[in-house]
Amino acid sequence: MDQLLEKLLTCVEFGKVDIKSPYPPAMKDQEGAFELTRHALDDGISPGEILEEALIPAMSRVGQKFSRNEIFVPQMLMAAKAMNSSMIHLRPYYLTGETKRRGTFIIGTVTGDLHDIGKNLVAMMIEGGGWEIIDLGVDVSTEKFIEAAEKHPGAVIGLSALLTTTMENMRKSVAELRQRFPGQKILVGGAPVTADFCRKIGADFYSPDPQGAVEYLKTLT
Amino acid sequence: MGYSPGTAPEPLTDLIAEVSAELLHLREVRAEYIIFERLTCNPGNKSIDIDGVVFDVKPIVFSQIKKSERAALFICTAGPEVGEKSRRTMKEGDLLRGYVYDVIGSEAAENAADRMQEELRLAVAGEGLKITNRFSPGYCGWDVAEQHKLFSFFPDNFCGITLTESALMNPVKSVSGIIGIGRDVEYAPSQCNLCDDKNCIYRGRKAESRKPPIYW
Repeated sequence: MDQLLEKLLTCVEFGKVDIKSPYPPAMKDQEGAFELTRHALDDGISPGEILEEALIPAMSRVGQKFSRNEIFVPQMLMAAKAMNSSMIHLRPYYLTGETKRRGTFIIGTVTGDLHDIGKNLVAMMIEGGGWEIIDLGVDVSTEKFIEAAEKHPGAVIGLSALLTTTMENMRKSVAELRQRFPGQKILVGGAPVTADFCRKIGADFYSPDPQGAVEYLKTLT
Repeated sequence: MGYSPGTAPEPLTDLIAEVSAELLHLREVRAEYIIFERLTCNPGNKSIDIDGVVFDVKPIVFSQIKKSERAALFICTAGPEVGEKSRRTMKEGDLLRGYVYDVIGSEAAENAADRMQEELRLAVAGEGLKITNRFSPGYCGWDVAEQHKLFSFFPDNFCGITLTESALMNPVKSVSGIIGIGRDVEYAPSQCNLCDDKNCIYRGRKAESRKPPIYW
């Protein structure tokens, strides 16, 4: 792999945002993800290569370390911040269509539920997996999920619920989405949600952690 | 956040100190309890009857409360500000700072509950009474929907907390529940031994090198 991309991968993995960021201490005063992405583009490395060979593998390593309890949420968030600093340079290429994402992922917390931290983490890791994120926020009605699915044909939908009382709303949303879009891929997650519940309500996939969702999405592309 | 003492990365410890200092002025933290003298425990269906309201607390909570002579129902909150700051900060793109607000908000609500619980313990100790651990709807098998029954004992907007139809407390950084009181009740130092819910967000939260699970 290109040395620059390897360095960028390390910066994202360890949350080195830019030259000013003091963390990690071993990389103090060195250029971070922001500067290295600019250099990579200036050197003629394509945005697609940067994404596929540096950012996605970096976030994948982060997700795997998190799944193995080797790092915790704050380190995931620091990695995401570094990735976002890199994306500042890449976004224009997505907007012009010069570079394509792996797909679109619509995510929201179901009606009646206001919890969003877990949902945000999943969104962030999936974005790090190369997907465009349409975040509908919290307390999302079935109608809003349907509207988003109509607006983004082919998108995968993720529903989150953190209360047993709102799992029922998840069931209703999934049922209605299924009826409207029979082939729609639907992921579910949240504290009270289980693989068994996922199967019973007719969703396609359940993961207890973000990386599981990322891995599942890889199988769809 | 899951780190053993001394292992949290540097920018995080600095950020926690900064956010903690910023939140020191929080004046909306509140905690209240009401003691009920009339308590009937029904071993047949593992329910508890307080003033005619039947709580279907399920076996784990029932086993801890059943020897109680009285019960305290409580609600505690860190107030709306910290939750709002967390949400706003995350929305603005600073996920790490937003997460730190969220965690500190949860700790503030739990600390308020700890202090309330200690006050209750001291208040009944003079009568030779002890207290149980605190139990909340949504944990240890007790259905979160029973939150509505619990809130029926408090005046509207008590401590500034309201309940949504889906039994979610607003402000979100709030804790509610029941504590048993009696001569023969026990306080379990390690409450998680009572429960087998592997997905509980409180499971092992005080144990070292365990991370809180991430739910989405």
